[in-house]
Amino acid sequence: MKKPKKVVTWKSIPRFFANLIMILFSVSCVFPIIWLFGSSLKTESEFMQSSMALPAAFNLKNYISIFTETKMLLYMLNSFRNTVISVAIIVVVSFLAAYVLSRYRFRGRNAIYNYFMLGMLIPIHALLVPMYVQFKQAGLANHWYTLLFPYIAFGLPISIMLIESYVASIPKELEEAAAIDGCGFFKTIFKVVFPLTGPILATVAIIQFFAVWNEFSFALILVSKEILRTVPVGLTMFKGAYTVDYPRMMAGILFTMFPVMLLYFAFSKRIIESMVAGAVKG
Amino acid sequence: MKKSKKQYAMKSDIKWGIIICLLPALLIYTYVVVVPIFKAFYLSLYNWSGGAKMSFVGLKNYSILLKDTAFWDSFANNIWITILCVIGQIGIAFIFSALLSARFMKLKSIHRVVAYFPSTISAVVVGFVWMFIFNYDYGLINSLLRAVGLDKLASAWLDNPATIILIVSIPLIWQYIGYYMVIIMAAMTSIDTSIYEVAEIDGASGIQRALKITLPLIKSSLLVATMLCIAGNMKIFDHIYVMTNGGPGTSSMVMALDVYKTTFIKNRFGYASAMSIAILILSLLLVGGVRLLVMRPWKKEEN
Repeated sequence: MKKPKKVVTWKSIPRFFANLIMILFSVSCVFPIIWLFGSSLKTESEFMQSSMALPAAFNLKNYISIFTETKMLLYMLNSFRNTVISVAIIVVVSFLAAYVLSRYRFRGRNAIYNYFMLGMLIPIHALLVPMYVQFKQAGLANHWYTLLFPYIAFGLPISIMLIESYVASIPKELEEAAAIDGCGFFKTIFKVVFPLTGPILATVAIIQFFAVWNEFSFALILVSKEILRTVPVGLTMFKGAYTVDYPRMMAGILFTMFPVMLLYFAFSKRIIESMVAGAVKG
Repeated sequence: MKKSKKQYAMKSDIKWGIIICLLPALLIYTYVVVVPIFKAFYLSLYNWSGGAKMSFVGLKNYSILLKDTAFWDSFANNIWITILCVIGQIGIAFIFSALLSARFMKLKSIHRVVAYFPSTISAVVVGFVWMFIFNYDYGLINSLLRAVGLDKLASAWLDNPATIILIVSIPLIWQYIGYYMVIIMAAMTSIDTSIYEVAEIDGASGIQRALKITLPLIKSSLLVATMLCIAGNMKIFDHIYVMTNGGPGTSSMVMALDVYKTTFIKNRFGYASAMSIAILILSLLLVGGVRLLVMRPWKKEEN
């Protein structure tokens, strides 16, 4: 009010609507979470009366039930274990391969590089059946480490591509100096190059974190034991195993989303940059 | 003499280093990604229900597949969803990005962070959330319609075979608008702002600037986004599995779900393997074809 009133011109109206559209869209992106949260505090009958009304009380009954009556916490631990181990192995294995592919021009180098890149074109659903059969026959299905195989293997192509191009942009001088100082091959790689590639390794880790945490298809077919189930598969079982108690299911969904949501909103800038770097170069 | 000996030693050192570095990646990648492709082809030549009995049928599974209207219907659904998503995701993302590049827009960085958020959520969660939203009795859409007195418009959104493809595309579009927005905005920031200043002086309107300057200048990024969008939609599975499981009937069946059901519900492993090979070929043709179309004109420009 204190500021001089802006002149309303014919341009103000479309500008107002442009802002309004963006705000509505942004609200739609977070509103489902708010709705889930509100509904998760309701009792079943409360929800059935009105799914839009505010919850009558701050009732954590559904969350307690998630802890005590379902195996959600176990599914989260499974997902967490798969994610941490897969991401760590992807980072190390793809770093080693990408470093060599970037620095040395040996016979077969291009063939190997393209061989890895081919992986990005292969739709994973074309491999579900043969992989299921192959893993069953080899006795690799239904173990705690089963899912690490597909997660690591399908994470390699994009990671190798990103790290390879990053290593190419680092000057060679440091490695040469290290070699002259008598550093061996592996000592040079781990002591000199590895720390220098920190930013791109972080990018790779972020991309793969979300990919593995959210992965559904392999988790659905390669492990059938309940104690090995991951969060996405566990959520789908919710619908079948228990009668659909909507508020409780919403509590389950929100509960499993919470860690990732926190991570995203804390590091959104870095995460967006990483994912887009992966997408555009891929 | 001494020097050459040392060089020789280093070379063999490096040779082994290269082998040791490449081996883990090559082994696991070959075993998990490449071997199954051959395995799929091998299995596709058999009639097999998963048990001990396997009978060789040659290419019969493929000749059945060519006439399997259910499979081609699901392929068509993949294509329809892809078309809707290319228009919806990239089209809307372009409009939003153009809006956000305007000076009069508020809260730009918040929009960017919030819009990107859905693409970090798992497809299973997105499927469930939208299933709740579309629910006939308690869903958000019907509740809203009833609240404003439009009870007649409230319908069982996920049960109408005529519109189901459109309905299941909405969550997909919604989830990834932010993703393409960020890609397009990144491309837009690389455009020299002086071009816009000149255009503004010449009296070009915002819409004219977006269509005549921005659009042509970010063409290559838009094509990359289109490619990503096509590749992504050839493999949709999770959303559909959760929301409709291919239904009602088979009206929202997609290729990946068809293979899954043929394998794990009908136990037709041989036939499902032939379907897998078909998916592989169709995706490679489509993604590879678009990629070729995209790369050619792009390379010419660079030269």
